[in-house]
Amino acid sequence: MNILGIPILTLVTFFPVAGMAVILFLPPSRTKAIKIAANIFTGLEFGATLLLLARFDASSGDMQFLERLPWIKAIGAQYLLGVDGVSLLLVLLTSLLTFIATLSSWQAVQKRLKEYYVFMLLLETGMIGVFLALDLLLFYVFWEVVLVPMYFLIGVWGGERRLYAAIKFFLYTLFGSVAMLIGILVLRSQYQTFDWTAMVAAGSVLPAVLQGWVFLAFFLGFAIKVPMFPFHTWLPDAHVEAPTAGSVILAGVLLKMGTYGFLRFSLPLFPEAARRYAPAIVLLALVAIVYGALVSLMQKDMKKLIAYSSVSHMGFVMLGLFVLTPMAAKGAVLQMLNHGISTGALFLIVGVIYERRHTRLISEFGGLASRMPVCAAVFLIMTMSSIGLPGLNGFIGEFMILMGTFPVSWLWTAVAATGIILGAGYMLWLYQRVMFGKLTNPANESLKDLTVRELATFLPLVVLAFWIGIFPKPFLTLIDKPVEKIIRIVNPAHFEAPR
Amino acid sequence: MMSAASDLRYFAPEIALLASAVASMFVHLFVKRGGRRGAGYVALAGIGAAGLALVLTPPSVEALFGGHLAADSFALYFKAAVLAAGALAVVLAFRFFNVEKSEPGEVYYLMLLSMIGMTFACSATDMVTTYVTFELFAIPSYVLAGIFKKERRSAEAGIKYFFLGTLSSAVMLLGMALVFGLTGSTGYAEAGPALAGGSGLAALVAMSLFFVGLFFKAAFVPFHMWAPDVYEGAPTPLAIFLSTAPKAAVIAVLVRAMTVLFGGYTMEWSYILQAVALATMFWGNLAALTQKSVKRMLAYSAIAQAGYLGIGLASWGDSARMAVLFYVAVYVVMNVAAFGLILLVDGGGRFDESVDGLRGLARRAPVAAASVLVVLLALVGIPPTAGFIGKYLLFAAAVNKGMILLAAAGALNSAISLFYYFRIGKAMFLEEASPALRDGGRQPAENVSRTVTAILAACAALLLLLGVLPSLLTSPAAAALIGP
Repeated sequence: MNILGIPILTLVTFFPVAGMAVILFLPPSRTKAIKIAANIFTGLEFGATLLLLARFDASSGDMQFLERLPWIKAIGAQYLLGVDGVSLLLVLLTSLLTFIATLSSWQAVQKRLKEYYVFMLLLETGMIGVFLALDLLLFYVFWEVVLVPMYFLIGVWGGERRLYAAIKFFLYTLFGSVAMLIGILVLRSQYQTFDWTAMVAAGSVLPAVLQGWVFLAFFLGFAIKVPMFPFHTWLPDAHVEAPTAGSVILAGVLLKMGTYGFLRFSLPLFPEAARRYAPAIVLLALVAIVYGALVSLMQKDMKKLIAYSSVSHMGFVMLGLFVLTPMAAKGAVLQMLNHGISTGALFLIVGVIYERRHTRLISEFGGLASRMPVCAAVFLIMTMSSIGLPGLNGFIGEFMILMGTFPVSWLWTAVAATGIILGAGYMLWLYQRVMFGKLTNPANESLKDLTVRELATFLPLVVLAFWIGIFPKPFLTLIDKPVEKIIRIVNPAHFEAPR
Repeated sequence: MMSAASDLRYFAPEIALLASAVASMFVHLFVKRGGRRGAGYVALAGIGAAGLALVLTPPSVEALFGGHLAADSFALYFKAAVLAAGALAVVLAFRFFNVEKSEPGEVYYLMLLSMIGMTFACSATDMVTTYVTFELFAIPSYVLAGIFKKERRSAEAGIKYFFLGTLSSAVMLLGMALVFGLTGSTGYAEAGPALAGGSGLAALVAMSLFFVGLFFKAAFVPFHMWAPDVYEGAPTPLAIFLSTAPKAAVIAVLVRAMTVLFGGYTMEWSYILQAVALATMFWGNLAALTQKSVKRMLAYSAIAQAGYLGIGLASWGDSARMAVLFYVAVYVVMNVAAFGLILLVDGGGRFDESVDGLRGLARRAPVAAASVLVVLLALVGIPPTAGFIGKYLLFAAAVNKGMILLAAAGALNSAISLFYYFRIGKAMFLEEASPALRDGGRQPAENVSRTVTAILAACAALLLLLGVLPSLLTSPAAAALIGP
C-alpha cells in the first residue's frame, strides 16, 4: 500500500541510502556541507516516519502498508515489508534517535567526517529494515547490514580500546546471527516459505523437538543482541568505547533488535518451545536485572555504569516478554521505547560532559549542578525516567511489566522489584556524586552549560519522557492489538482462564 | 551419431584458446623487444575470443566424439568460470610483471594451454579423456608455479606441486583402472550402470582412489598439503590462476563422476564429501587464523572457501546444483579479488605481503579500500553480497537433505573466518599508515595501481549486484543442466 503513490515503507527504509549517496559525492574537505546534508537527511527521514504514523490505522492489529515483490525466485524469497504498531514505534524511535545522534555529533566528531556520516546513514537503513522486513531472509540481510557500520563507528571513532571492542562486538553478534541463519534455513525447509505472515497463518507446523532446536538457534541470535545474561560481555566494551552517537544508537536501537526479534519471531513461530523455555529465560532475565544493577553500583566510569544499567533494563524487557501475559508484553514493548529514550539521553549527557572534560570518571566530578544547571535538570529528569519515577515514562513500562508478572509469580515480581530499588540506588548515587556536593575539582570551574544545539538534542527526549509518563494512551493503543495477537498465539491458555 | 567434424563446433572455445596459445608462443619467440607483453595481449585476445565462442555455442545434450566429451549447459557454465579466472589472472599478471621488471613471456601461453585442459575437463565424459585433460592442465601449472626458478619460494612451489601432483594423478589412474577392470568400459555412461550393479567394495575402492586425485587438485583437506606453499610461493597472478580455474574444472569433473559414473553410490560419496567438507572448512579457517602473511592467509582462505563447496557437493541434488554453480562463480570473483589486493600496493618494485602495507589504505585509496571491504564481506558471507547468497544456498541445500549439522558447521566457519578476514579490514580502515610511510622520507613512495583498483571495484560491484539481485546468476545456474 502506498501514500501519495509512493511505496512508503521502501521510502522510509532506503531514504538514508539516498543521503549516503549524496554525501559520498561531496568532497571530504567540505565538512560543513557534509554535516548539514547528514542532518537534513536524518531529519527528513524522521519526518517521513511521522508521515507513516499519520497514515497508520492504530485500530488494526494487522500488518499495514504491505509491499510484496518477488526477490530471489529460485528460493522463494520475497521483498516483503510491512508495519504494525510495534514496528512503527521502533521505527519512530530509530529515526528520532538517529537524527538526535547525528545532531549530537556536530562537534564531537572531527576526523573522517564523510565516512562517519556515510556509516551512520547506512546503519539507519539497516535498523529500519530490520523492523519492517517480514520475509525472514530479508530480515536477516538487514540484521547483518547493521553490523558493519556499527563495527566501523566503534572502531574508527571510538575510545582507546576501540579495536578490541569493535571486533568483539562484530564477532559476538555474528556468531549469534549465523546460529539464527541455520534456524531460518530449517524454518524455510519446513514451511516452504520465508514469509512471516504466511508462517503465522499456517500455525506452528514444526515437530516439538525440532521446534526446540530452532527456537534455541534464534535465541542465540537474539539473546546476544539484547544482550541477555550471560551473553552480555560484549556490551560494556562496545558501549564504553563507542563514540557518544554510537552508544546512543547501540543502546537505543540495536539492543531493541534483539527483543523485537523475540517478540516478532520467537514467540509466534515457536509457541510450544517458547512456553517450554520461558521459565529458564525468565530466570536469566531476573539474573540480568539484579546482576546488571549490582555491577552498575560498582562502576567508576559513568558510561560503563549506564552500559551495565542497560543489561538490567533489558532484563526487564525480557521478563515482560517471557511471562507471556498481554499486560507484561505490552509493558515490555513500551519499556523498549522508554529505554531508548532514557538511556539514549543519559549517554548523550555523558557525551556532553566528556566533550568538555575528556574524562568520564565519576570521581573527577562533583557539584557540576552549580556550573551546568540546565544540564543538571535534564540529567535529573532522565535519571528519574530511568529509575521509574511516577509521572515519567519508565514508571509506566515497569509497572505494566510487574503487573503482568504478578499473577504468574509473586516471587519473580519481587525479584524484579528489587532490581528497581537497586536501580534507584545506582542512578541517584551517580547523580549525587556528579552533580551535587561542592565543586572541589578546579578543572570543573569553567564548565559551560548546554548549548542551544545540545539542548535541541535533549528536548524531544524530555518531551517524550513526560508524554509517555503522563498520557501513555496513544502509545499503548498502537501496541495493544499487535501484542495481544502474538500473546494469543503463544499463550492461548491465558485467555481461556477465568479472570 | 554425428560426425567428428560437426561435433567439433561445440569446442570452438578450446580451438580459440589453442590458436591463441600457438600465436602467443610465436610472438614470444620471434618478437624480441616488448614481445613478451605482446604474447600476453595475444593470450588475452584469445581468451576473449574463446569467451565469445562460448557464448555463441549452443549447449548440446548429445554425447559427442563417441561419448568422450559432452557440451551440455553444465560444461559450458564451468568453462565460463575458467575463462573468467584466466582473463583476470592475465590482466593482473601485466600489473605484476610491470613491477617485477622481469616478464617470463611463456607464462601466457602456458596459462592458455592449461586452460585448454581445464575447459576440456569440464566436458570429459570418459575416464581416459578425463585423465588426459587433467594432465594437460596439470603439467603447465607445475611450470607456472615454479616460473621464477631463481627464487627459492617459487622453485620450491613448482617442485612440490609437481611431485605431489604426479603422485595424485597416479592414484587417480589406479582408480580408473579398477573401474575399467570392473566394468570393461571407460565411458562414464557405460561404466556407471555396470558399477552400480556390480560388487560394492571394489567399486568403493575405485571411487575413493579416483576421488583422491580430484580432491588433490581441488586442494580439499587432507590432500591440500601442497596448496598453501604453492599459492604462497607462486607469483601472485599465477596463485590467483592456480587457486581458481583448476577448482572450477575439478568441481565439474567431480560432479560428473559423482552423478554419472558413481551414481549408484550416492550415499557413500555423500559421506566422503561430508567428511572432506568439514575437514576442509575447519582446517582452512583455523590455519588461516594463525597466519601473519596476507598471501599465506589467503592461501588457507582459498582452501576453506572450497570447503563450503564441499557442503553443496555432499548434498548434491537439484537445489545443491544451483548452489554449487552459483558459488563456483562467486568463488572465482572473490578469490581473484582477494589475491588481487596483494597487487594493489607496491613500494619500490616489490609487493608487501604482510598486512602492514594495507594500513590506513582507506585514507589513501578510498575506492580500493571500499572495494576490498565488500570482497571481505563476501568472503565471510555477510549480506548484501553474493558471498552470503552463495553460502546461504549451500547451507540450504544441506538442510533440505537433512544435514543440519553440516550446515551449522559451515555457518560456524563463516563466523570464524570473520576474525582473520577482518584483520585486513581493520588494517585498512581502523589503523593509521605506518610512520615510515607517513613521513615519506625513509620509504620509497608507494604506488596504488589503477588497474587493480578497477578490477577490485568491478569485482566488488558484481558481488554487491549479485547479492542484491541474485536471480541474475541463480537463473543460469539453475538452468545449467548436467548430462543427457
